[in-house]
Amino acid sequence: MRRMSGRLAVTAVMLVLGFLVVVQLRSQAANEGLSGVSVQELGELVANLTTRNDQLRDEIRTLESQREGVAGAVERGDSSSLQIRTDLNRVLGWSGALPVTGTGVRVAVDGSLPGTAVNELLNELRNAGAEAISIGAIRVVPGVVVTGPAGNLVVTGIPLADPIEILAMGQSEVLSGSLTRAGGPIAQLAARYPGVAITVTAEDRMTMPATNRDLNPQLGRPRL
Amino acid sequence: MSQIVARVRAIPTWQVTLGLALLGLGFLIAAQLASEGPRIRYTSQERTPLVETALDLQAQQDGLKQQILQLRSDIEDLEATGEGGATVTQDLNRRLEQARIAAGLVAMTGPGLVIQLSDSSAPVPPDGNDRDYLVSGQDVLTVVEELWLAGAEGIAVNGERVTNATAIVDIGGSVLVNSAYVAAPYQVTAIGPDTLFDTLTTSPGFVDFIRARAETFGIGVGYAVQDVDLPAYAGSVNLRHGRVEPSPGAMSLPAASAVPGSGAP
Repeated sequence: MRRMSGRLAVTAVMLVLGFLVVVQLRSQAANEGLSGVSVQELGELVANLTTRNDQLRDEIRTLESQREGVAGAVERGDSSSLQIRTDLNRVLGWSGALPVTGTGVRVAVDGSLPGTAVNELLNELRNAGAEAISIGAIRVVPGVVVTGPAGNLVVTGIPLADPIEILAMGQSEVLSGSLTRAGGPIAQLAARYPGVAITVTAEDRMTMPATNRDLNPQLGRPRL
Repeated sequence: MSQIVARVRAIPTWQVTLGLALLGLGFLIAAQLASEGPRIRYTSQERTPLVETALDLQAQQDGLKQQILQLRSDIEDLEATGEGGATVTQDLNRRLEQARIAAGLVAMTGPGLVIQLSDSSAPVPPDGNDRDYLVSGQDVLTVVEELWLAGAEGIAVNGERVTNATAIVDIGGSVLVNSAYVAAPYQVTAIGPDTLFDTLTTSPGFVDFIRARAETFGIGVGYAVQDVDLPAYAGSVNLRHGRVEPSPGAMSLPAASAVPGSGAP
C-alpha cells in the first residue's frame, strides 16, 4: 500500500514537472530576443512587419490572379503566353534586368561620403520599401556595393563622381520620411560628416536603367 | 561509515526518485518565477501588447511567405502543363524560369561558405556599452557586402534570401532581414567560387571588420567552407510605384541555355 502511494506521488510530481518544463520552454522561446527591444523599437518592428505583410498579401493577390489566368488558358487549350510574358516582365523589371520608370525620390549628396556611408543610405531606402534603386547611372542589384574612401568611390569597378545622386522608386513620402526623420540616417551622417549636405526630393517620374551585370548564377543550381 | 552506507541503501527507490523530481520541480518553479519578473514589468510599461502583436505579425508573415512559395510552385506546375503547346510558349517558360532564378525566387544549392556571427561572451566593462558586445545589423550587412565583393553569387541570412529589396537593420539586440525578425547567432550563407573564403578573409574591409568587432569586442566569427542551400525569396516582386520599360537597348532577356540546371532541354 505504502509502495503504491509512493508511485502515485512520483507520477503526480513528474506530471507537474513535465508541464512546467513545457511552460518554461515556451515562454523562453516566445520572448527570446524581444526582451532587449525598447518600446519605441517594438513600435517600429510592428510598423515594419505590418507594411511587409501588406506587401506579401498584395503579392498573394497578384499570384492568385496569375494562377487563375494560367489555369484558364491551360483549360482552354490556349498557350498561356500572355500570362507568362506579363510575369516575365514583372520579374525582370523587379530584379533589375529591365529598366523601370516610376515615382520616388532623388537623394543628392553635396560633399564626399565614404562608400560605407553610401551603403547605409541604400540599406535605409530598401528598408523604407524602395522597389528599385540606382546610383549614378548604375542600377543597384545584388552584388552592387559602393566601396572606397570619400572622394574616391567605386561601384562595380566604375568610379562614382561627386556629387552622388541616388534614385529610389517607391512611395516618396515614406522614402523621404525614413531618411529625414529625427535621428535617422541623414541626421546621423550629418553628425559624422559635418561638411556633407544630403537633400531628398520627390520625383513624379524617373527612369532607372537595367543592370549590366549578369544576374544568372554560374555555380548554384536550383534545389529540387 | 558502513552504517551510513547501509542507511542510504535502505531508502526505497521511489523516495529517491521523488526527491530528485521535487528538486527539479523546485528549480523549474524558481526559473518560471524569474522569467515572469520581466513580463510583469513589461505589463506595467504596456510592452506586452506590442510584443504579442509583433510575434503575431511575425507568425502571419511566416504563413504568408509559405503561401507565396506555394502559389509560385502551383503556377510553375500549371505553366509546365501548358508547355505541350507552341514553341514560343516553351521558350517563354524557360526564360521565366531563368528570370526567377536570377531574381532569387528559386531555392538554390551550390559550393560556398557559411559565416556564423555570434554575440560576444566577453564581460562588458562597467563603462562599456552592452550593444557593442552584440552582433548588430551593421555587422551582418558588412559581412554580406564583403561576401558580394569577394564574388558570392547568392546569399541568405538565417533563412532569408538577400535580394535587391533586402534591408538589414537593427531592432533592439537583434536584426530584421527582409522585415523578418532574426536573432543571433546569425548564419550568413553564400554560394560562390572556391576562392570565396580566401578572397573574403584577405579583403581590407573584412580584415577591418574582424579587428573592430571580433578582436575589440569579442564578437564570434566562425567559418565553414561547404556546399550550401539558399532558400527562395518569399517576398513581393510587385512594382507598385512604377512600370517596366521593355527597352530594346536594355539588357536582353537571358538566353535559354545560360542558366545551369534550369531543366531546359
